Amino acid sequence: MTTNAAIHSSLWGENSLPLRPASQVMKLERLGAYHQSRLSFMRTLVRRIFRERWKIEPSVFNLDNDGYGTVVYEVQAPHGLFSFVLFSDYLSPDERNDRVIATKWDLTMALVEGKVDQEYIEKLRENVPKQEAGRVDARVFVLSRANRSARNFDYVVNQLAAGEQPDVAKIVEVGYLYRTTAVYGSGKLGMADWEKVREKHQDFARPFAGEMFVCLMLRNFSLLQVEHIARHKTPDTFNPMKPEIKRYFGIGNSTGLGMAPYLVNHPLLINQWIEMRELALARVRVLGSVNQQVRETISQLIDRSAQHTLETLTEDEWQTNNNKAVIDDMTCLKSRIECGFDSWDELIEHSEQHCSLQGQEMLVSCMLEIYPELVDELEDFHSAEEFLDLDPLMPAGQLKDIIENRYDWALAIDFDAEGARETYWYRSEEKMEPRLGSVADIEGKKKQMALGVGYAVRKCYNQLIDYIAKNPDDTTARFMVAHPKLRGIVRRIQGMNRCVYGDIQANLLDREVLPMHLLRAKLAFFGVSKFDPRSRLWVRNTMFQGAPLLEEIGQTFNDDWFMPLAPKQ
Amino acid sequence: MNISMNELKAALRRCFEASDYFVGNYEDAANMVLWLEKHGLNGLSEFKLALPYIGEDKNKPLSNVIYEDSTSATIDAHHRSALNCIAAAVDLAHAKALESGIATVTVHNCHNRIFILKALTDRGRSGISAAAYWQNGTDSVTEHTAAIRSGQRYPSYSEGVTNLTSNENDKQALTIICSSRVDLTSSLQNSKSHFISPKQVESNKKHTVEHGIEIDADVWEEINKIGLGVLVENTERSRKDAGGN
Repeated sequence: MTTNAAIHSSLWGENSLPLRPASQVMKLERLGAYHQSRLSFMRTLVRRIFRERWKIEPSVFNLDNDGYGTVVYEVQAPHGLFSFVLFSDYLSPDERNDRVIATKWDLTMALVEGKVDQEYIEKLRENVPKQEAGRVDARVFVLSRANRSARNFDYVVNQLAAGEQPDVAKIVEVGYLYRTTAVYGSGKLGMADWEKVREKHQDFARPFAGEMFVCLMLRNFSLLQVEHIARHKTPDTFNPMKPEIKRYFGIGNSTGLGMAPYLVNHPLLINQWIEMRELALARVRVLGSVNQQVRETISQLIDRSAQHTLETLTEDEWQTNNNKAVIDDMTCLKSRIECGFDSWDELIEHSEQHCSLQGQEMLVSCMLEIYPELVDELEDFHSAEEFLDLDPLMPAGQLKDIIENRYDWALAIDFDAEGARETYWYRSEEKMEPRLGSVADIEGKKKQMALGVGYAVRKCYNQLIDYIAKNPDDTTARFMVAHPKLRGIVRRIQGMNRCVYGDIQANLLDREVLPMHLLRAKLAFFGVSKFDPRSRLWVRNTMFQGAPLLEEIGQTFNDDWFMPLAPKQ
Repeated sequence: MNISMNELKAALRRCFEASDYFVGNYEDAANMVLWLEKHGLNGLSEFKLALPYIGEDKNKPLSNVIYEDSTSATIDAHHRSALNCIAAAVDLAHAKALESGIATVTVHNCHNRIFILKALTDRGRSGISAAAYWQNGTDSVTEHTAAIRSGQRYPSYSEGVTNLTSNENDKQALTIICSSRVDLTSSLQNSKSHFISPKQVESNKKHTVEHGIEIDADVWEEINKIGLGVLVENTERSRKDAGGN
């Protein structure tokens, strides 16, 4: 088991491992090229559940023949007992809407500490289906909702009711029965704060563990529900779904702009996730032995990744081209592997010379897959508290040096160039949904969110230069008294300087900025697959596809659901 | 009604942002109010007193240093709320303490001074000991002190009613002492004072983390109402800005 001290010495100082530089890793386009890996939060959660053999069983099962009603699962984890409460309600097709602004859903869910009695279930019943329009208490720590897949749900019910299996080709097109449109935690709507979850509920004390768990439970319920409805529809002909096909069903997810400001507003947390991923890669490059078995395994993983990408269908031209490039990249890597290699650096260098960014990052994910002993323990180090403390004693001259060294990318941007400050981010009065506007709208510009880190650094630098010319020996504290409006950005510059990777290196105000990269980066850390952009501002994807089923808890578990493939039929 | 700490913080941030607090300050201000309330020190009651005035700070001059030497400074806050000026004053005391061992910063014309507790507490986490003292009121003068030792997470706080009459010269003044060498503690000599220990502050925090925050519906409504100022009106065009169909 590793420790904070061991991780620190691997990241900093003379004995540190050879990490990829921030100038390479923190480019927005590369972050937007990330894929799931064995450090992704879904993988981490499933490993924990299966290795610790959590007991997850329904304690209330009140569904009518059409699958509407209430279900409660009791979840016995090593450190506590939790209840997953789910309400299934009729929703007419014209009310089904994936946007955050929707007000009704097919399913609504809550993850609650402890057992729930009938009185508490009734209280939840009054509020959980309303989502943002309802209130819950601090026993609840995740809320979510989901809508049926119009293309799959009824089809699968009808197939099972007729004694047939769903056609795998259709699941390749849409790999889920439900699509979740929001998963809330961290104190929203009266729920428990993250501080409580982190300190009290060790089973969920990792970033987004509760949120991922709710999605996993939703996936489990969706499979149970289609069988339940089909069984009641035609009991004589009903046949349950084959396990290998069940495993290929995940949960759909729609993610919009709301996720993008999160990355900018939680820079220490995002840095921590990246540090762990890059540390894992550095460990593999230095410590991962390469032998014939390893060569065969990486070759198989490359094949699997290519096939998975081939089975990723999207109407989006940009993503289609990216996927084609990845498939070509995998062919290129396969050829290089067949020529033989003795160190991972050889393959990495080859990928950097010949592959797209998505191809390069796919290779990284494949490499991590081979060495659980070097990688998995880092999953316990994904948390970070967002303390961006000011260092008041730092000489103003040192602050200037930091900007020149760590934010050279920001100083290199010409913010006066046409389009460089064309985009702004704002919150709509409609559920405070984040939106992306153009400077043409004056009101929106006045109310824009402070996400232009690069531009703020540039403005700070200009004022700092003038200040130092007059006060060369002053401290940051004195500079702050003279320029209190710069407090936020100075604190950020100093705080991020304590990190290996620091800020995302992109001008988020640029007319050509692609928020999709931000969404993709965070979703990859979650562990999703099958990216299907619906515009440049929101993306559909699939969660938990290929994951083992809850009824398989307690059986052998080999943690091998990376880049899942369609089962043979 | 009951809300979470995160809800309060987010609503306060919008509220301060809409009141033209600048980036960095609106986060600080929200954290200062939340910190007091979370630790059982009536942050929302104090904030309710500040609420009618927070929109006025944008029209006041920025704080400036009116005297300074290696171990002390005097800052005029020009009748700003501590919510948007005190953090910089504590930073200055901190920097001087690191250079000289111990330092004093006095802030004049500063309102809502109890909000300094969050900034003081941050010094403890940074390995600096800090203390503050101020008097308040015109008819009945109260006095207040808070302190935190180096490396600690929770401060002590005392308040008491005095027999003093208000003095025009030290109205709205606050004295901050920081030291990197001496562990400072503070309590009032005043026999009519109430002392809250670091242990009690910690206990209050645990209760809030477990159960959330009770807030008057009217205060909650007012905070959110002011915060509406940062939201953009919903139009068909803005819906397209979210990428919707």
